[in-house]
Amino acid sequence: MPSLKDIKTQINSVGSTKKITSAMKMVAASKLRRSQEKAEAARPYSSRLEEMLSSLASSAASGEGIIKLLTGTGNDQNYIVVPVSADRGLCGGFNSSINRETYKLVKSLEGSGKIVQLMPVGKKSRDFFNRVMKDQILESFVDLNVSSTGYESALNISNKLQELYFDGKFDKCILVFNKFKSAISQEVTQQQLIPLDVSNSEKEEEKENSSNAIYDYEPDEETILKDLLPKNVSIQIFKVLLESDAGEQGARMAAMDNATRNAGEMIDSLTLKYNRTRQAFITKELIEIISGAESI
Amino acid sequence: MATISFDLVSPENLVFNDEVGTIIVPGKDGDLGILPGHSKVMSSLRPGRVMVYSEDKNLIKSFFVSGGFAEINPEKCIVLAESVVEVNSLEKTSIEKEIQELENKDGKESEEQLSVAKAKLEAINVNYYDKI
Repeated sequence: MPSLKDIKTQINSVGSTKKITSAMKMVAASKLRRSQEKAEAARPYSSRLEEMLSSLASSAASGEGIIKLLTGTGNDQNYIVVPVSADRGLCGGFNSSINRETYKLVKSLEGSGKIVQLMPVGKKSRDFFNRVMKDQILESFVDLNVSSTGYESALNISNKLQELYFDGKFDKCILVFNKFKSAISQEVTQQQLIPLDVSNSEKEEEKENSSNAIYDYEPDEETILKDLLPKNVSIQIFKVLLESDAGEQGARMAAMDNATRNAGEMIDSLTLKYNRTRQAFITKELIEIISGAESI
Repeated sequence: MATISFDLVSPENLVFNDEVGTIIVPGKDGDLGILPGHSKVMSSLRPGRVMVYSEDKNLIKSFFVSGGFAEINPEKCIVLAESVVEVNSLEKTSIEKEIQELENKDGKESEEQLSVAKAKLEAINVNYYDKI
């Protein structure tokens, strides 16, 4: 049976853990608000860009050079998968679900005979894939701090990807990231980044085209498209980074909230145990005294 | 007189959003003056000044953009810019220093940055379009 002192130390240590987790929860909550604001502020730009792109996409039937970002290379053999995780842990299943999903995706692509390479973003996925598929990692990006560095961080990734793409290193690029649904729920999402997937915006496009008159383009459609496509890649990445950042904070907040609650429960049960033990000791001592007195 | 709604958007935030009288944007092939009821145009932009005027032709604000796109229709003008700075907040000395540094480097990237920096300097120095 543990001594009173043992239980007391245990209560104290759980108590200080509780303090830490509840502080982390507060921090995550305030960071979450900031990340959410950032993600919201970035939304007008990306949605406008998508609108523009979808009204232009029809004009690019096929082509060389930059247009390939839209039309694809015509091949379907080499894949690059970009898992976007957090740099830090203690946020519940946030990172492990990304890693698991990516792992599954890679295995299923490889199962159908494709060649897959990885470009992890964030320490947690880099570390994971360093352990399990080290030779497939092309490059990794860590310590992005998207909420303080902003757009620049996305530019780095996008430039690297486009460089590799135009060198013919891969045909398709898929992002795996946590989509921010609400403060407490994230959804692991796969998004095809290159070539651009316009299928989901096609319906809107048709609507737009039928209701709106055609635009004049300056200088011309192709030139605009050539400017627009690389930018769109960067913006998509930026959006994903922001969403993932907001998701991370949300996940951490939920995880820390749980941990705080668990610590509270543990303290309650330990206190109960402490009091019981104390009482048992007192009773035992009393019995000893009484039986001692009786024997005289 | 009519007004046209104007949005200036950067990747990080919505910089400007209001009803205005006239806007001048630096189109790739030349500046575009946009008044309410402008025909539908989509244009890419070169580094330069985006000028915003009130209904009675007074300059409200001028921004420097490093490139981007403009989408114009009769009721609305949207400018998507990579980076947006107010021209008033640009500092001549720091830009001159940046130009000097960039001139010593070569490579495609610094060349691009140089042209942006030069356009910045020009944006401070020129004052045409201040009154229209």
